[in-house]
This record gives sequence, structure tokens and C-alpha cells, in this order.
Amino acid sequence: MDCKQAASLMHEYLDHDLPEDQALGLKSHLDICEACRMKLKELEQTDMLLFAAVKSSIPSAPDDVLERIMSKLPKQRKQQAWLRWVRRHPALTAAAMFLLVMIFSSLSLWQADDQLIVKGADLDQVRIEGHTVIVPEGTAIAGDLTIENGNTEVYGEVKGNLTVIDGSLYQASTAKIAGDAKTIDQALDWIWYRITNTFSEVAYR
Amino acid sequence: MAEHMDTRLVKLARKGNQGAFAELVELYKDKIFHLAYRMLSNRHEAEDIVQEAFLRVYKNWDRYDENQKFSTWIYRIATNLCIDRLRKRKPTYSLDAELNDQDGTDGYTLVPGDERTPETAYLLSETQTTIHQAIDGLPAKYKSVMVLRYLQELSLQEIADILKMPVTTVKTRVHRGREFLRKRLEHKLF
Ligand SMILES: [Zn+2]
Repeated sequence: MDCKQAASLMHEYLDHDLPEDQALGLKSHLDICEACRMKLKELEQTDMLLFAAVKSSIPSAPDDVLERIMSKLPKQRKQQAWLRWVRRHPALTAAAMFLLVMIFSSLSLWQADDQLIVKGADLDQVRIEGHTVIVPEGTAIAGDLTIENGNTEVYGEVKGNLTVIDGSLYQASTAKIAGDAKTIDQALDWIWYRITNTFSEVAYR
Repeated sequence: MAEHMDTRLVKLARKGNQGAFAELVELYKDKIFHLAYRMLSNRHEAEDIVQEAFLRVYKNWDRYDENQKFSTWIYRIATNLCIDRLRKRKPTYSLDAELNDQDGTDGYTLVPGDERTPETAYLLSETQTTIHQAIDGLPAKYKSVMVLRYLQELSLQEIADILKMPVTTVKTRVHRGREFLRKRLEHKLF
């Protein structure tokens, strides 16, 4: 082994990476070479001094570093805060979402059409004239009757509930409504109608 | 243990938990500051590096590889920022910084309970200054390796991971750096 090879092994030794057989080779060279013994001693001291000196005389990071970093973070979007709340309250969120979806779909329904809609189980006897729905005298409608966007005139009998949405209700003296007769012509009422209706529908299914 | 903690904090911080992010800053701010200070020999620039490194972490979570240690990633970001700064400096800047930025580099620190005489303390202080100046004068590629090795006491493999280079390259640089320092100290100490 020459001195150059020995020098390379010395560094491996300082890296704690020198295999045993090579360590023995280095040792036998050091036994006969004083220059290399000196060099290894110096390298070892340099190594130790480096560990100590590199860490010495370093000022500490300023105390407000954390605050400064946190204040520079890009602002989180509000939506993200909202989403975190959602993740934390899944049950409440589900209920809220249900209501929201219903309210929005109801609103859009309420705004969307002004077309006459007549709903009921027994529509054969109902007479429709333009935007007016007539329950003629002497007829009896089985079940509920719902009229949207139209005027309603009742001369006969309705055996269930009568609901008029966005329209007028005229009940003649001969009219007989077994259930509730309701007129709904505001968005909010409409929404409540939809909600209670949906809930009872859900309940019955 | 520390790694386990890092992993948990990183997971939370990635999801946008600012508390977990603040914990990570607390855990690493000094390490990054020391690294940057030793690389740049300038306190104000080191502060900038700490801020910039953490902001990059915050903005680039999507680029973080979970199989990698968080320390490796943040050291890489910080080291690269320092190397960029060193490259942008005018050749004389390093000397200017050394002459003007005296805070922290002057004097010596005695370990509490250390019973060295003033003369040996002075010698040590002089040795430290020699070492600090020698490291400061190293080219950036050697400087980063030496600082990671001797300041952070990282293994050669970790340094290789941080700098994305083969471990043999890291080795060669440590060996040369050590040899360079030995020669600088030769006449003063040995
Ligand atoms: Zn020899």
C-alpha cells in the first residue's frame, strides 16, 4: 500500500465506512510510515474541530420567525373553512344540505314555470277553461286536488285537500271541501309546502 | 420517534392544518437557520432563507413525496435556495459580508463548566474563525456538503438524498473538504 492509497482509506475510516480487512491493511501501512501516522492524527483532529467549529458562533433564529412565516402564508379560501366544518359535522351537514337542495330546487321550480299544472287522483271530472280549473256543481272529486298557476272555482265537492298555488280560489256556496283548502302564492309558503309535503311523502314510503 | 412525529404533522399540514404546519416550523426553523447562516455567513439572508423555505413547503405540498423524509425535503429546498444566493453574489460579496456582518461570528463560545485557560480559549476561537473562513471560501457545491455533514451531522446517504447525487460524489467532496481544512489548519495547530 502506498501513501496515496492510505490517505483514501483514512477518509473512509473517518466516515466510519472502512471494512475490517482494509482497516488491517491501513494499520500495517501506518506501522511503517510516520508521515501517514501524522496525517491521520491531523485529519482526525480536523474532523473533530469541524464538528465543533461549524456549530459554534451561530446566532439563533429570531424569535418572531414563526409569526412572520405564518402571516405570509397565502390566505385560505373561505370555502375551505366551510368544507372543514362540513367534515367535522357530517350529520348536521347532511340535514342542512337536504334543506338547501330542496329550497333551491323549489325556488327554481317556483320561478321557472307559469304553466298550469293540475294534480290529483281523480281528474276526469275537472273542467279546465284557459287558466281556470273548475270543479262543476254536482261532481265529487275523490282524493286531493292541487292546482298550480291557475285560478280555481269550486262548485262541487272535493273529498280530499285542495291546494291552490299561485292562483285564486273561488268557493261557491254549493262547494264542499272535506279536507283543507289552502291557497299558496308566495315563494316561502311554496317552499314550506314542498318541504312538509316531501317529509310526509318520505314518511309514508 | 422524531420521524414518526414528522410524518403525522406532515399529513395534517398537507391537508391545510395550520397548527400542524406551525409545529413543523418550530421543529425545523433553527436547523434551517443554522444551515443558511453557515452557508451564507449573513444573518439577514439566513432569515430570508428560513421564510422562503417554509413558504415553498407550504405552496408545494403536492410535490412532496411521502416516501421521503420531511427533513430530506426541507433541507433540499433550503440548500438549493442557499446555493442560488451564492451563485448570484458578486465575487467580492463574500469578503464584504465577512467584514461587515460581524454579529455572531466574532468572539468564541465556551461550553458551560469548561475550564480552559484564556489562551486555549483564544486559540480555539482563532481555530473556529479559521474554519469558518475556510468553509465560507469553499465553492457552493463543497460548502453545502460540508455544512450538511458537520453542522447537521447527517449521514453521507442522507446528504446524497438531499442533494440528489450519488453517495460516491458526496464522499469525494467530504474527503476533499476535509483535506482542504486540514491544510488550512496545518500551520496553526499541528
Ligand atoms: Zn504513508
